[in-house]
Amino acid sequence: MSDDLFDKAEFVAYFRDETEELLQQIDSDLLHLEEFIDHGNADPEIVNSLFRALHTIKGSSGMLGFSEVQALAHKLENLCDLLRKDRMPLSEGALNILFAGRDFLTELISNAVEGTDPPTGLKEYGERLDSFVAVYEQTSSLIEGKAGEETSFTEEAAEVTPVSASEIEAFEAEVERLLAEERAKAAAAPAPAEPPPAPAAPAAAVEPQAVETPNGSLSKAEGIAERIVAAREAAPAAQGAPAQEKQKRTSAHQTIRVDIERLDMLLNLVGELVINRTRISDIANTLDRSIKDPDMDGAADRIAPLAKDLADSSALLARTTNEIQESIMKVRMVPIGQVFDRFPRLVRDVAKARGKEVQLKISGAETDLDKTIVDEVGEPLMHLLRNCVDHGIEDPNTRERRGKQRFGTISLNAYHEGNQIIVEVIDDGGGIDLQRVRDRGIKQGLISESDRLTDREIIELIFTPGFSTAETISDVSGRGVGMDVVKKNIQRLKGVFDVDSQEGAGTTFTMKLPLTLAIIQALLVRVANELYAIPLDSVIESQRVEMEDVRTVHGNEAILLRGQVVPLVRVAEFFELGGERDPDKVMIVIVGLQGRQVGLVVDSFQGEQEIVIKPLSDVIGRIPGISGATILGNGSISLIIDVHSLVSEAYAGGKIARAEFSGV
Amino acid sequence: MSTTDQRNEQTQLSGEIVKVVSFHLGSEEYGVDIAQVQEIIRMVEITHVPKAPRFMEGVINLRGQLIPIIDLRTRFGMDRETHTKNTRIIVTEIATKRVGIIVDSVSEVINIPIEQVEEAPEMIAGVGTEYISGVGKLNERLIILLDLQKVITAQEKEELAGAEIVTS
Repeated sequence: MSDDLFDKAEFVAYFRDETEELLQQIDSDLLHLEEFIDHGNADPEIVNSLFRALHTIKGSSGMLGFSEVQALAHKLENLCDLLRKDRMPLSEGALNILFAGRDFLTELISNAVEGTDPPTGLKEYGERLDSFVAVYEQTSSLIEGKAGEETSFTEEAAEVTPVSASEIEAFEAEVERLLAEERAKAAAAPAPAEPPPAPAAPAAAVEPQAVETPNGSLSKAEGIAERIVAAREAAPAAQGAPAQEKQKRTSAHQTIRVDIERLDMLLNLVGELVINRTRISDIANTLDRSIKDPDMDGAADRIAPLAKDLADSSALLARTTNEIQESIMKVRMVPIGQVFDRFPRLVRDVAKARGKEVQLKISGAETDLDKTIVDEVGEPLMHLLRNCVDHGIEDPNTRERRGKQRFGTISLNAYHEGNQIIVEVIDDGGGIDLQRVRDRGIKQGLISESDRLTDREIIELIFTPGFSTAETISDVSGRGVGMDVVKKNIQRLKGVFDVDSQEGAGTTFTMKLPLTLAIIQALLVRVANELYAIPLDSVIESQRVEMEDVRTVHGNEAILLRGQVVPLVRVAEFFELGGERDPDKVMIVIVGLQGRQVGLVVDSFQGEQEIVIKPLSDVIGRIPGISGATILGNGSISLIIDVHSLVSEAYAGGKIARAEFSGV
Repeated sequence: MSTTDQRNEQTQLSGEIVKVVSFHLGSEEYGVDIAQVQEIIRMVEITHVPKAPRFMEGVINLRGQLIPIIDLRTRFGMDRETHTKNTRIIVTEIATKRVGIIVDSVSEVINIPIEQVEEAPEMIAGVGTEYISGVGKLNERLIILLDLQKVITAQEKEELAGAEIVTS
């Protein structure tokens, strides 16, 4: 009994992983299909792939008893079957139904697996889907010339269609096509032009005039069709955001797929550890015997080889653990493409909603990155891409006026650079309007009219919480939660976020991320008799400075380093640790934050070391200036200094004046 | 004498017993549910965490794991005492969170029949009643039963509000 339950849980976990991949597959298939819309015919390869993915979902959900998922997958599969058998042309209506169906599938699956809220509007969607398929099954016979029973068709269609106004959206495209086809016939025999009544009845809900259409007024029907198109364009935008949220939630589960080779390597290394353990316990036994031996004369001779053995073992141990560390890090590495995969859909939806034409170019999807970072980087990237489509890329007409191609291009690139991963989002849109940002900054009281800011400083303004240049709030972006959140998220990942913009030519967002979060190089320093670790990636240099060279600027300490003013933060005072100031000299760790430099005053330097980051318990809560702790070789604990939050806290607390901080 | 024993026996048979680890804090004797206690260790070196709440003594390294340590005296608004050789850290796990609490000394594991447990009185020497799930009576002893969950969660609320610990 309990075995059964356990097994099912395992299957469900597998099902979740598998369907996530399949849904991603469906997404990319649908996006490919969209490129074929103009031909009216789908690439059979893609349709087949779509069909297979749906079929697999149907099968496995059926096996686990997720009947709702199964039913929907089945219906979508039917639709694909029509496409596959060329019984239905590839239309925008069909694709939209498929896209919506894919979103409902996602929600249903997370509903089944994780017990989240069941999706709303599923029933309506199901009816819409049914009638869509039903109509095609009907119309295909109509097209084939079996138009003998128009009246019964009309009745039947009228019976099916009134379920909701939204179903017209799907129906409209086909009707229009039919109308065009029938128009020729209509000239000869007006009777076959009757089919339009079908959309007429439900359209009444949207547009009262529509009731008149049964009289066969083609132009009027087309007018309605246009309104419906407009209404439909708006619909996916509203649905887009929540769908994305859901996607995020489902990807939050904590499993990882690992190349079996990497696991085998790890297993080998663990094997070596086991052998080494035996060896060490042998040495211990021999040593034990030697000590108990009453003949103490030869003790030194007997112990000497043991010491050598022990030294060998410990060298071997060091090597093996290093390799294990490396391998386990590799196991945690996943291609960043796992996050990139969902963006084509996002960009498509946002672009559609905003009436823009955008193509997304992705490169470097295979770049490996720590799983934690891959999971965390998704949201900031999503914000950025939305921003690029919404604010960056101009609408097609403006672009044409500016002598650009009608469609904008957003490039999403990932690549290695040294010990870091660079992720870039580049758009060829209008760039950041510096004057406008400045004006908004003044309006929101962030800067004053008289402030003379460099271009760079103006750009920095967009990272201020609550800042938005958008006059009106759109549902996509512009709520003022954006860039500051992106920047914070990246900083939390120990990354650096930078913006470069050229007015009229586009904007480049660059994130520099560490390969892994778990192990870092750190500089150990002593402050008020406690050891602190400063991540080496933010350390520029360490300096010993005589007290007489420390100046005071606006009541804050600073030093002059190669002509640049570097403000000082006394770590002991920041953390309220007490301790005496050294009257003669200061030991300073110069840390860099995006080109700016700040000096952290410590008591002494204790050398560099590789450390494993451990989070402080959430019982303690977040402490500004501390990002976690590590356990050192001797078992003692050292807290890790969070340079970003320490400096910004010191800055906020007036310990560093703005002018110095900006390096002006 | 024998009748009391018999009665105790019967209670035990009926299974209505609270099993607690008892410890001393100042002059009072306290108890925590044994199911929440993972282990009891001697004082070790505690790494101070700056800017943490006052009662948060720091973190310790327990076999490679970082465990936050709460000084229960400070938590309950009592005076701090220098640690002695009797001072112990009770490592507890509540809702997957491992937390160590410093107590003056640990005495024993005791069984308290459930009918000997009374509701907490309005006020007990400096300890807010919200942390107390009841008071156990055993012969002449009064054992204050702590609700560790509250000791930890209430503290989180205070942290959020940025308020000082209120002792009623």
